Amino acid sequence: MKRKVSAILLTLAMVISLTAGCANKSNDISTNASEESGDKKITVWAWDDKFNVAVMEEAAKFYKDIDPDAQIEVVSLSKEDVYVKLQTALAGDGSGLPDIVLLEDYVSGKYLNTFGSRFADLTNEIDYSNFLDFKTEAVTKDGKVYAVPFDTGATALYYRIDLIEQAGYTEGDMKDLTWSEFIQIGKDVTEKTGVQMIVEIANNKTTLVRSMMQSAGMWYFDENGDISIKDNESLKESFRIIKEMKDAGILYEVESTENRAAALNNGTVASVVNAPWFVSALRGAEDQSGLWRATTIPRMEKISESINASNVGGSSWYVLEKSDVKEDAINFLKEIYDGNLDFYKNILNNQGAICAYLPAFELEEFEQGDEFFGGQQVNKLFAETLPKVQAVYYGGYVSEANDAITTALSGVFDGSLTIDEALEEAQNQLANQLGK
Amino acid sequence: MKKKKGPNKNMYGWLFISAAFILYLIFTIYPAIESLRLSFMTFDQGEYIFVGIDNFKRMIGDKIFWKSLSNTFIFLILQVPLMLILALLISTLLNSKKLKFKGFFRTSIFLPCVTSLVAYSILFKMMFSLDGVVNKVLVSTGIFEVPYQWLQNGFWAKIVIVIAMTWRWTGYNVIFYLSALQNVPAETYEAAAIDGAGGFQIFKKITIPQLKPIVLLTTIMSTIGTLQLFDETMNITGGGPANATMTISHYIYNQSFVYAPNFGYSSALSYVVVFIMIILAIIQFAVAGKED
Repeated sequence: MKRKVSAILLTLAMVISLTAGCANKSNDISTNASEESGDKKITVWAWDDKFNVAVMEEAAKFYKDIDPDAQIEVVSLSKEDVYVKLQTALAGDGSGLPDIVLLEDYVSGKYLNTFGSRFADLTNEIDYSNFLDFKTEAVTKDGKVYAVPFDTGATALYYRIDLIEQAGYTEGDMKDLTWSEFIQIGKDVTEKTGVQMIVEIANNKTTLVRSMMQSAGMWYFDENGDISIKDNESLKESFRIIKEMKDAGILYEVESTENRAAALNNGTVASVVNAPWFVSALRGAEDQSGLWRATTIPRMEKISESINASNVGGSSWYVLEKSDVKEDAINFLKEIYDGNLDFYKNILNNQGAICAYLPAFELEEFEQGDEFFGGQQVNKLFAETLPKVQAVYYGGYVSEANDAITTALSGVFDGSLTIDEALEEAQNQLANQLGK
Repeated sequence: MKKKKGPNKNMYGWLFISAAFILYLIFTIYPAIESLRLSFMTFDQGEYIFVGIDNFKRMIGDKIFWKSLSNTFIFLILQVPLMLILALLISTLLNSKKLKFKGFFRTSIFLPCVTSLVAYSILFKMMFSLDGVVNKVLVSTGIFEVPYQWLQNGFWAKIVIVIAMTWRWTGYNVIFYLSALQNVPAETYEAAAIDGAGGFQIFKKITIPQLKPIVLLTTIMSTIGTLQLFDETMNITGGGPANATMTISHYIYNQSFVYAPNFGYSSALSYVVVFIMIILAIIQFAVAGKED
């Protein structure tokens, strides 16, 4: 008898845990079919709770006033999960897709090339004259715009003013540098303070490469999407500069993003080139408050097109074409992201989001000084940099190109290849991989 | 009465395994067949097109595929024998009657197996990073003057992966050997000892032959495991430097989810791995069978 009872209990437990598992699943990935008819539920996929997800939840709050019936559910996933799930669902029959999804501009080409018809054409829905040109261009294919531009990767050089001053330089010396001037300052800083000048992730050395290339309006691919690596002067020059920094002993290589943040926070490194959202990583070291400054990134003096402004990363919001609530989703993005200044004010204050929406740059919040940067108007720096950024066609194969370039740069670093050889090999490898 | 019970019991048997079997059909058999179909297709403008053996032809010219395949075999050749020999030695020691605190040692050896693959990979990455514990020890003891970039050198990055995998999986194999050793009758050992055999001789002449089926089993399992190596390289080195630790599974993942989606090509790559595994298993059975 006892046995029977325990057997029944075990079976029950199994059944419950199985069904509970199923229930969880359907909560996680709510399909775009509204479960209750008449209920306008908009599902959004995004990553980063503190940034993208928080911004979207803020947007949902604002939209409640416009359309009280609309229910917006922001599902927080890791960036990898967003891509893996989206890619799997799009390659299949499309069940389980959200209504709105966040994608980086670097992968925009990949999704639009392969699944262009699965995203809603927003060309006539949104007034794109309100957005930064280079951001709109990044989400355009064949003259159609497929996304609402969101945050930008306006590139800045963040540096430690105390270390720069110890080496005999001032804040004024750091403005609008060339990379040779930067290397000279770096050598002095490393020599006089023992701290290495600049940090880069060793397994993925492309943040510097990408920001240098786009500062000259060039990219791994030309405007037709053809590979442009072997004879790309800006790419060659970026390799030369990075190698020179390595040889001068001013480049500190780390294994991961976490190690990079740690190296900056514990004072192992004096500067970093990155996007506006990187400020939150710097803020991790409260004891360094007031010691940081931001400035424009150096330009490549040998490349005439290169300017002191560039972009790394940034993302945009896409609406799925087959969504049951497509019209509502578009309307939501239009009302909030293309017109609501209060929303932009809030996310600038709370999340530090530097967005692509031009009217928002007039906000007085951009004039505010930041204590962490010794009272410097950091946001204003971004606002001034952004209009100068040159548009490039990212193309559909940025990850592939990044990997090929990382491999090439490793070859240059260990001395087994010259820059020309390495780039030629990267071009061939990529051409082979893409079947071009 | 009795006759009736027969088929009835049978039906219960089928009923009981049906749940597991249906799940197996849906989640294992169906995807396996479907991916075989996919391996002859390519994804173009949102549609799958039949391309025959184009995917397989493409592999011939794909340098990263060959690189990842050779990396996988290097891991296989270095790591599996190292781990299995270690596991054999440790299990023999643990089986010794003279050993005290057996429970403690057995638990300690097995403990790494319960850690999550990602967690332990990140730990090894931290240990071998520029400011990690390995460099700190080497520098503070004066062996190295400056910290070394272990994960930035193709050779050492591979060694780190091998060390990590050995740490994680040796205990798992020890359990197999230990349980097999319990089944070796004590009389055999006693007889050998009386005949004057030394420790090593006993190990070689009695322990290993008695464990042969288990050694074969663990070899095949480890071979399959190594061919599917993914978590470690993904988290410790990201496949770098310069694809020096890129494994075939990692490359399949990149082709499916990191690069422009190419499920047809990834499926074709997966089937190549299946094919290699079958060949290796046949070889292993043949080699083991011959000596019998």
